[in-house]
Amino acid sequence: MAETEGFEPKIVAFVCNWCTYLGADLAGTNRLEYPPNVRIIRLPCTGRIDFNLPIKAFETGADAVLVSGCHPGDCHYTSGNFHARRRWMLFRELLSTLGFDMDRIHFTWISAAEGRKWQQVITDITERTKQLGPYTLYAGNDGKADAAARSAAASRPVPPRTFEGQDALRASARRLLEAGIVKVVIGHGERGAPVFVTRPDETHQLAWNDRCQANLTTYLKRKEIRALGKPAIVVKGCDERALVVLEKESQVEREHVHVIGMACEGVGAARCTTCDVRTPRYADEVIGQVAGGAVSPDQRFQALAEFLRKSPAERMAYWAGELERCVKCYACRQVCPLCYCERCIADKNRPTVIDTSPTLKGNFAWQITRAFHLAARCVGCDECTRACPAGIDLRLLNLSLARAAEDQFGYRAGIDREAELPFGSFSLEDKETFIR
Amino acid sequence: MSDLISGAALRRLVDEWIGQGKRVAGPVLVKPDLPSYVYLAGGDRFLLDGFVRPVNSIKEFVFPRHEPICAYRFEGKQVRIADADAQIGDQIVIAARPCDAAALPILDHVFNWDCADEFYNRRRRATTVVTLACSTHDEACFCTSVGLGPAATRGSDAMLLDLGGGEYEVRVLTEKGRDAFAGKTITSDRIASEAPGPGKRFEAARVRRYVGEHFDGPIWARTTLACLGCGACAYSCPTCHCFDIVDEGNLNGGARVKNWDSCQFVTFTLHASGHNPRSAQPQRQRQRIFHKFRVYPDKFGDLLCTGCGSCGRNCAAGLGVLNVLEAIERDDGEHLQA
Repeated sequence: MAETEGFEPKIVAFVCNWCTYLGADLAGTNRLEYPPNVRIIRLPCTGRIDFNLPIKAFETGADAVLVSGCHPGDCHYTSGNFHARRRWMLFRELLSTLGFDMDRIHFTWISAAEGRKWQQVITDITERTKQLGPYTLYAGNDGKADAAARSAAASRPVPPRTFEGQDALRASARRLLEAGIVKVVIGHGERGAPVFVTRPDETHQLAWNDRCQANLTTYLKRKEIRALGKPAIVVKGCDERALVVLEKESQVEREHVHVIGMACEGVGAARCTTCDVRTPRYADEVIGQVAGGAVSPDQRFQALAEFLRKSPAERMAYWAGELERCVKCYACRQVCPLCYCERCIADKNRPTVIDTSPTLKGNFAWQITRAFHLAARCVGCDECTRACPAGIDLRLLNLSLARAAEDQFGYRAGIDREAELPFGSFSLEDKETFIR
Repeated sequence: MSDLISGAALRRLVDEWIGQGKRVAGPVLVKPDLPSYVYLAGGDRFLLDGFVRPVNSIKEFVFPRHEPICAYRFEGKQVRIADADAQIGDQIVIAARPCDAAALPILDHVFNWDCADEFYNRRRRATTVVTLACSTHDEACFCTSVGLGPAATRGSDAMLLDLGGGEYEVRVLTEKGRDAFAGKTITSDRIASEAPGPGKRFEAARVRRYVGEHFDGPIWARTTLACLGCGACAYSCPTCHCFDIVDEGNLNGGARVKNWDSCQFVTFTLHASGHNPRSAQPQRQRQRIFHKFRVYPDKFGDLLCTGCGSCGRNCAAGLGVLNVLEAIERDDGEHLQA
């Protein structure tokens, strides 16, 4: 990319109050010269820098963004910078998958004594950004939404294929309701839609077939369902992972839920082809038997790896085309078992954090927020993708964060009940290859 | 006698319209199995067969999901307000479904009731709707239950009916439709036969009475427990028309914008005090049914539903207007027998 004539980049620096801000101050008092292209925003700590802020900076016209704080061990609040480092290890992966230009996103440690480093960093970033030219965010959608094939073959509906275990499931539900062990059985109906069975004579409504894609654990958080009394819930191995996370995050008291696990050979979803949790591991009872499928991480992340063969500009063009269709119906959020906030940040209006408008700006902001709030939490049930009426493949964003969590922390959400949650903790050994 | 146009001529005609500077929208496969109405770049890609219904509706061409109303700027202690650009060019929707077109006269009532919505009216006046009669339907369709059908002409300016062999009968219905096809059709003696519609699933008059009598009935909680509270039904519905007005900007200024809103969201009726008159999802579902089959009919003598079935097809929890109305039908039947 050629240097644009006379282009003066805008660089927004989010810096911590205690180290980098004082480093910049020292550069000033020492009369160290550096380009005037940087706008400094002082925050208490890098740990307090919400990931929405750099996005907002880009939205409002920044050409590059810098986050800078105290060196490891120097944090005024002991560990804020360790948390920030860990968060950014994953956040960068999400931005990269979305096709952000990672050459414009910088992270440094600059102490109060490093006025000279500040001078150097700002000079370098300014030069680099000048070479890159002005940044146009969310560019590349050429409006050719109608580029797909012309003819559609209307597919004939095929009847559901019932699996072995349906009778055992119904018998089990009947037993639980008759014995008064539970008040409601949350299961799938004939067409896969959720059913809430409260009477033993209604258990014939429960089905176990290739339509049972829905992850029903999302209903455990709904107050109308909670009001029914102690539930039994039908889970597949993949669904159970959400239950494990909900339990880890104190959203579900495990002893107040009876879990009916279904050994599963696949329900025809994309994730089924690379499933390695076919048999629920923590259920109160498991119906059926299937051979466990060992799957390599390469296979699990194959769809992502294929997508990442695109260049960053192509990726952003792809997402701009996809998110163009997003109407902000929030089906992705509502269907997600792990989106349980009483009031979502997207619904906050005092002040508004994320534009409510279903524009590219508002849609990117929303999907970045949704995906990152599920970083190292998402269990890959793909319910968001299934629910999206616009057919947006949100799975790719979730996969990118899941792979980062696995690569960086050896963590897979909802697999090991005992594993420590990656966020809320940190390690001194966390890799900081992206930090200068 | 009838007017006839070949598929190839129709595609050329769309190219011609685009060449004249008109915006043309039509159903396109944006992904495999995902037909969607979008603005077309040319006449070669839009669908003329092989789909039941696009996932979205044509309402977004007259009532966009996001629309700036005005721009504002703070200048010292003054606020300078500028109207949004009022220039709307002519547009044509091609191969719309009859259940989409029928929604436009329904929306006309709402947007011209106690005040005339100039944003809506402007777009509406500039829009010509060319429908494509349905030759197929799926289990979510229920147009016949709300007084429409596979070749219902309500709201259409012209209708295309498949004659087979890549030819279409053109039925011109309004002045706009005549203008669109003037000199583009050939006279023929072939008359298209209308495809059978879905079987009737409920009696709208009965629903209207029932919901009035069962406002606090147990049916709402029973039938809508699965509702997760997203807006997929409302946003894909051709007749849902609620919107929210927000200011988006910064210290220097910004824009006042109109965005779609849905009665299924918790925040839809949330008061500033924290009180929410519709505090539970069944109440919000009841609102949706009530508005469509009682409130709107009481006011305008018409249903706020065209039986397109989008709510059912797009619901992640397998709900939709049809499920609830069928449950009402069953419930009412039981009551009558008792």
